[in-house]
Amino acid sequence: MNYPVWTPPILGGGMIIGIIAILHVFVSHFAIGGGLFLPVTERKAYRENNPALLEYARSHSRFFVLVVLVFGAVSGVGIWWSIALVNPEATATLIHVFVWGWAIEWVFFIVEIAAAFIYYHGWDRLDRRTHLIVGWIYFGAAWASLFVINGILTFMLTPGRWLETHSFAAAFFNPGMLPSCVARTAVAVALAGVYALVTASTVRDVALRSEVVQYAAKWLLAGTAAIPIAGLWYISTLPPAARDISMGGAPAVTIFAGLSIFFSAAVVIFTYFGPYQRPRHFNLTFAFLLAVMALSSTGVTEWVREAVRKPYIIYDYMLANGVRVDDLPRLRQEGILKSALWARHREVDPKALESTGQEIFRAQCASCHTVNGYNSVRFAVKGWRWILIDYQLSHLSEVKGFMPPFVGTEEERKALGAWLATLNPTPATVEIEPPPPGEKAQVQPAPSSGESKP
Amino acid sequence: MNPVIPAPVPIPLPAPVWLLEFLLVFTFVLHVVAMNFLAGGVMMLTLSSFLGRHDLQHREFARRAARAMPPVVAFTITLGVAPLLFLQLVYGQLFYTSSVLMAWSWLAVVFFVLLGYYGVYWFSLQQDELGARAPWVILATTVLFVFVAFIFSRNMTLMLRPQDFYPLHLRHEVGSVLGPVTAPGLARLLHFLVGAAAVAGLGVALLARTWRTEAPELAVWARAYGVKWFMAGTGVEFLVGLWFLFGLPQDIRAMFLGGDRLATALLVIAVVLAMLAMVAAKRSLAAACVAIVGTLSLMAVIRHLVRVAYLRPYFDPRTLPVQGQWFVFVLFALLLVGGLATVAWMLRAFFHPAPRAT
Ligand code: HEC
Repeated sequence: MNYPVWTPPILGGGMIIGIIAILHVFVSHFAIGGGLFLPVTERKAYRENNPALLEYARSHSRFFVLVVLVFGAVSGVGIWWSIALVNPEATATLIHVFVWGWAIEWVFFIVEIAAAFIYYHGWDRLDRRTHLIVGWIYFGAAWASLFVINGILTFMLTPGRWLETHSFAAAFFNPGMLPSCVARTAVAVALAGVYALVTASTVRDVALRSEVVQYAAKWLLAGTAAIPIAGLWYISTLPPAARDISMGGAPAVTIFAGLSIFFSAAVVIFTYFGPYQRPRHFNLTFAFLLAVMALSSTGVTEWVREAVRKPYIIYDYMLANGVRVDDLPRLRQEGILKSALWARHREVDPKALESTGQEIFRAQCASCHTVNGYNSVRFAVKGWRWILIDYQLSHLSEVKGFMPPFVGTEEERKALGAWLATLNPTPATVEIEPPPPGEKAQVQPAPSSGESKP
Repeated sequence: MNPVIPAPVPIPLPAPVWLLEFLLVFTFVLHVVAMNFLAGGVMMLTLSSFLGRHDLQHREFARRAARAMPPVVAFTITLGVAPLLFLQLVYGQLFYTSSVLMAWSWLAVVFFVLLGYYGVYWFSLQQDELGARAPWVILATTVLFVFVAFIFSRNMTLMLRPQDFYPLHLRHEVGSVLGPVTAPGLARLLHFLVGAAAVAGLGVALLARTWRTEAPELAVWARAYGVKWFMAGTGVEFLVGLWFLFGLPQDIRAMFLGGDRLATALLVIAVVLAMLAMVAAKRSLAAACVAIVGTLSLMAVIRHLVRVAYLRPYFDPRTLPVQGQWFVFVLFALLLVGGLATVAWMLRAFFHPAPRAT
């Protein structure tokens, strides 16, 4: 409302953030787990006096640097860029609450990057002990940066006591912070195994390859073993409405939650019977397959985590479209066009009802819906006459619990409805009788049945 | 028509504005030093890579200097995070609006940086394998980074002109604003790029010192070559700087020409320091570096004064409510000191390694 709304076609802003974020998550957790894997493996090689393993660790470190330092760092910046473009109001809020948290994370980044370069270029230059210490410094800094950003991320879903106190400590040490941190650490360890399987499968020497493949598989299995426990703990801290969404409240979200479990289980089974039990038969193709499964698992899990937060972007504080909960009563009374700074119509223009409606859509709905692409609103209202549309608009948050209520005056609602009605050709047959005036409450037009909330 | 400017977030700032602005300018200086090495560095590498087809000295120089580039890219990006953070905190409602208006190109920055970064790695790891294609790889990389600089300078200029926001919004789809590219806008970009070339020249002269044992001849040559770039770049920079200055709106320009004593003094000292650096460069690199870091810091302060002057009619962050989060700030300050000490320890271990005990 406060900011102009950017509406990338087809994907929509949310999807752009999603794509960048999922790739980033997949790499950045490796940045942490891999940071543990390297010094642990290096130390193991020294202890066992195993130069071949040491050579493997060394070549893995090059892969690590190319993936983590470049893609990990730039995609992290990419998330920041995209959230600022798609949700400027929420980004600004987060920065006001957490600027020192981010500043602290920035310090860890600097240490992390310096340590990564020195570790990578230091194999021949540094003595063993110093080289290992640098590896541990890298891991410490990388994990600390996870610790910080994790608190900011979980704040959005479980802001906890911050809603009353507005203090940094309450915001950071929010209910979801600790379990999520444990879960993410476990994911990091598992992903260290996934990436190590990729590099291990390219080792030429057969004996070494089997050894390293099996060793990497152990990392993967150890990490995934801890995920369900931490995950359940995390779910127990969620707001009830959010939990409901993932457990039947919204079919798409429930399906994705199921997929998340499915992919994770597939990764475990595949790893156990594949590289763990038969390391000799493991090869690069298998490794990529496994990586794709792990990426899918990460992807759907993060997607679900985002989805259950709807209709909020910061739970109980700000809606996905940037409207603060506190402002709702005022907006209902004044209408939203008055506050929609960038709308071309500042009040409902009866002569341009439809284009006014489009402005309202932009301000209120475009953060989750595109017109023609992802979560298309044209598709959503297909076959609806305007009277049904208008009914739905007045009950938006009741029809779908994860949608914010429509805010605005009755005139504005009619304008939005008029625009929505133009998106599809008028239905030839009346599919659902419009409710008789005055009897709305008794009629339950729920075109996608089973999803309406009482 | 009144300019349309979003309302700032109704949450108090977590520290007084002076502290946030100090951190904004201070971390910007750090970023700009790395950015200069990067932007100027890829320009120098491109030239040497092309010349290196027939000139052994340039070829050897490009090979060695390229190895130093990946960390430079990494630090340019990372050091850039902090100033952008403080900018968003203090001037968010302006910065977000201008970013959203030019969303497509602003988002493209991420992809250009990613491609450019891999370009730098490709060139530095595989120069020999690339053969005749190597110069083109580094040229393309340079072009990508120049685009990034261009988009940055567009956004940083647009955010200072809130009176343009709504008219631009009426004329363009949200996200596709990029213009108007005016002569002063171009001067600003050139001012950054030419300055980067000069500072990178000094950086090369410094880098050459680390080659003294392995390639003494090249070290001597590269030092002189770097200083040459520094001298030429700084010389041109004086002219571009004048162009930039005279392209500023009249009232802001007047500040630096006697209208505001502090602003004028800062500009004069910055220019004098740059001249001193030129005088010193051939004899003492260290002195030249100190002087030029002084110039860069003062220029960063001047840039900030220009920003404040542009925005004076529309927004003064000093009117925002403040509620210090001092505890976390102190934690940050302590961690910063600890973090820098850790980095210093690692660098020392790396550059002065103990004899290997195996
Ligand atoms: C928080 C994000 C969000 C916002 C904001 C939002 N929606 Fe939705 N909307 C959704 C989701 C998610 C769905 C479900 C899509 C599905 O089931 O596949 C949906 C579904 C719908 C449907 C179909 C309902 C049905 O019963 O099938 C309509 C119509 C709709 N939205 C209109 C709107 C309008 C109009 C606005 C603006 C006033 C809006 N939405 C704002 C997320 C949102």
